[in-house]
Amino acid sequence: MESNLITEDKHKNKLEKAFEILKTMASKPSGLIGLTIVLFHVILALISPYIAPYDYKAISPNTMLLAPSAEHWFGTDSLGRDVFTRTILGGRTALTVTFFGSLIALLWGGLLGIFCGLVGGKIDDVVMRVVDAFLSIPWILAMLLIVSLLGTSTEVLIPALGFFYGKGIVRVARAATHDVIAKDFIVSARARGHSNMSIIWNEIIPNVRDAILVEGAMRWSWMLLGFSSLSFLGFGVSPPTPDWGLMISNARGLMSFAYWSVIAPIVGLSSLIIGINLTADAFAKALGIDRSTKAPV
Amino acid sequence: MKYILKVFSVTFMSLILSFSIANASSGVFKVSHDLGFGKDTNLDAITKGRLFQVVIKTQNRLVRPDMNGVPSPSLSTDWSANSDATEWTFNLRKGIYFHDGSAFDAPDVKYSLMRAKDPDIGSPVRKSLNVVEDIEVVDQHTVKMKLSTSFADFPLLLTDYRLRMIPEGSGDTIGQTGVGTGPFMVDKFDPEGTTILKANPDYWEGAPGVAEVHVIAIPDAQARIQALLTGQIDMNRYVPFNQKKIFDSNSKFTTTVIPTGNWRGVVMRTDTAPFDNPKVRKAFRLAVDRQELVDLVMGGAATVSCDTPVMPSDQYRLQMDCPQNISKAKNLLREAGYPNGIELTVYPATLEPTWPTIAEVVQQQVAKAGIKVNIEMVPSKGYWNEVWMKKPVSMTRWNQRPADTILHEAYHSGAKWNESYFKNADFDKNLADARSELDFNKRKKAYQNAQMTLWEQSGTMIPYHVSRLVVTSSKVKNLDAVDHFSIQWHKVKVD
Repeated sequence: MESNLITEDKHKNKLEKAFEILKTMASKPSGLIGLTIVLFHVILALISPYIAPYDYKAISPNTMLLAPSAEHWFGTDSLGRDVFTRTILGGRTALTVTFFGSLIALLWGGLLGIFCGLVGGKIDDVVMRVVDAFLSIPWILAMLLIVSLLGTSTEVLIPALGFFYGKGIVRVARAATHDVIAKDFIVSARARGHSNMSIIWNEIIPNVRDAILVEGAMRWSWMLLGFSSLSFLGFGVSPPTPDWGLMISNARGLMSFAYWSVIAPIVGLSSLIIGINLTADAFAKALGIDRSTKAPV
Repeated sequence: MKYILKVFSVTFMSLILSFSIANASSGVFKVSHDLGFGKDTNLDAITKGRLFQVVIKTQNRLVRPDMNGVPSPSLSTDWSANSDATEWTFNLRKGIYFHDGSAFDAPDVKYSLMRAKDPDIGSPVRKSLNVVEDIEVVDQHTVKMKLSTSFADFPLLLTDYRLRMIPEGSGDTIGQTGVGTGPFMVDKFDPEGTTILKANPDYWEGAPGVAEVHVIAIPDAQARIQALLTGQIDMNRYVPFNQKKIFDSNSKFTTTVIPTGNWRGVVMRTDTAPFDNPKVRKAFRLAVDRQELVDLVMGGAATVSCDTPVMPSDQYRLQMDCPQNISKAKNLLREAGYPNGIELTVYPATLEPTWPTIAEVVQQQVAKAGIKVNIEMVPSKGYWNEVWMKKPVSMTRWNQRPADTILHEAYHSGAKWNESYFKNADFDKNLADARSELDFNKRKKAYQNAQMTLWEQSGTMIPYHVSRLVVTSSKVKNLDAVDHFSIQWHKVKVD
């Protein structure tokens, strides 16, 4: 009974803390704008399949490049497809791929960085040199190589993006761990004979988590831009999946006379990137993290 | 009197000078190419990687198509055949010189054509030229070609854009030098950068209108449009019709629509399952709505094709209708053992700007017949080496050729560019019969039988023959409104 009460208190404390952080983030105009934009995109992504007025695949020579009207709010594209439908569904693709990609980047990058920071020595040296080697490869070339070999399905794109955007997180997590391991509670945990895994889980993660989460949020917006760049080049998701980068690429040659087919995906993509950036910034400030050093202050 | 003479002399000299300046080559004509053959790009017209944007300006053929596609004199002034059309005699133009200074004569003709037949070189044109058994040098300006069979349309075969005359013995270096008798000479060959051609002042049809031609490598189709808009190039012959509006309203550009025999298509390898079953191939082809493709991809500027590569204006083309037939497509798939449909992947690249759109439209159309198409974009660079004729399904595009040439080159069982690996004895026999038939109507029947076999059996879906939208800078003058290979490039001027 007593242990249940302690657990409930813990959850209550966590919820209260999360609420406090959100409140602090929303207290500044930039944070409030960022949160609103991200929330808007997330809600739109969730409900878009139910509110999309047309089939995103439906092509027709009779509706090619129609200007915005009451029937087609954002007009139609060069294959006669409704741009509004494809724009709201395009956000769903972008958010899904990059959210799960960021999660993978956070998990592997964060854990490997913490492990290297804790054990140090030759393992740390070898792993960090490998990470450095990967960091020196332009990500776009590496991604092109991967999708050329394995295809452009979301099953390939999500882990591939997660891997490439996790490299930077390794360094941040390692640096944050270095700041923590000299502290007394780590020394005493070692003196008590705790294993490395136990120290990582119970002592280090709670102390470096905020720094890694802020870095992850930033990586999310970069990944969104990277994913859209791949789609723009034709190596993101495969047609006919609606995707902002692909829509911009298909319509770029028509901008001078069918601007509507390109404006909506551009606004969608840029607003989401700005929203995530503002949110990540506010998140860092709410946690008291200086993003110029990427470590707790 | 002396004064009058002086004035007369000065006026006369000025007139001569003005006339010379007016007729001298001047200006630079800038064009692009898509680098589709990557590192294999070269200037040897008979190889797969030939950079035709250069070769067609530096080398001549014996016979060229006139503005209506009819064989007309080029380096050969006239020709005649014996009674059964098995021996053809060509008289050569005199006083013609290659860019390296050597004289053009009969041994060069024999060398150039026999080289195209060389199995070690493996030219894609070899199959259609196999009808030539021997070439006899009658004298320095006469050659006699002996054929294995009667061939009433033989001069038409020689209009092929790759059958260019090169100096005897230059085979080892021609890929880099591009030496010929054409209006332009290769000054610098840089396939991945800018290839520079200089005017040949001694060209036999007169000095070219421009001093230089720059051929710039730009792999991406949209980048080529931007290059045209910003003045980096003066001509783009691959502008998609949905972008015509950009140029129509701009006085800096001239747009010309040219009906052609060029075609685009989707190729299924007939040696690979499930496309080794003719019913599956026909099901795919029946599930396509060709008119919708013409409307959506070409803005209506194309002629529907029922999977025949023979151009609409060709006398041997088979005329037929082939509307979309989903129920028949489903039945064929069921009979072939695929009641639940099939799944396939196509690999478009942007080197042909319409490929991704064709793939997307076909994807939606054939889905109704239970055929699931996945689209995977691939890089433009090296497409022809790494995707085409390698993947089970690929995208293709061909320039126009005479009926006999294209049927041999793309479908004959022994052809190097038989992209669908199509092998059909009846088809090969019809082609052989057509060549040896001297009666026009019977010959036509044989060629049309061959095309009917393609409709029933082939692995290549050809939805249409395109009209080409050519956009040039308004500075470009005297450009013939015909396809690439009939243009007389020496007439082009740039203000």
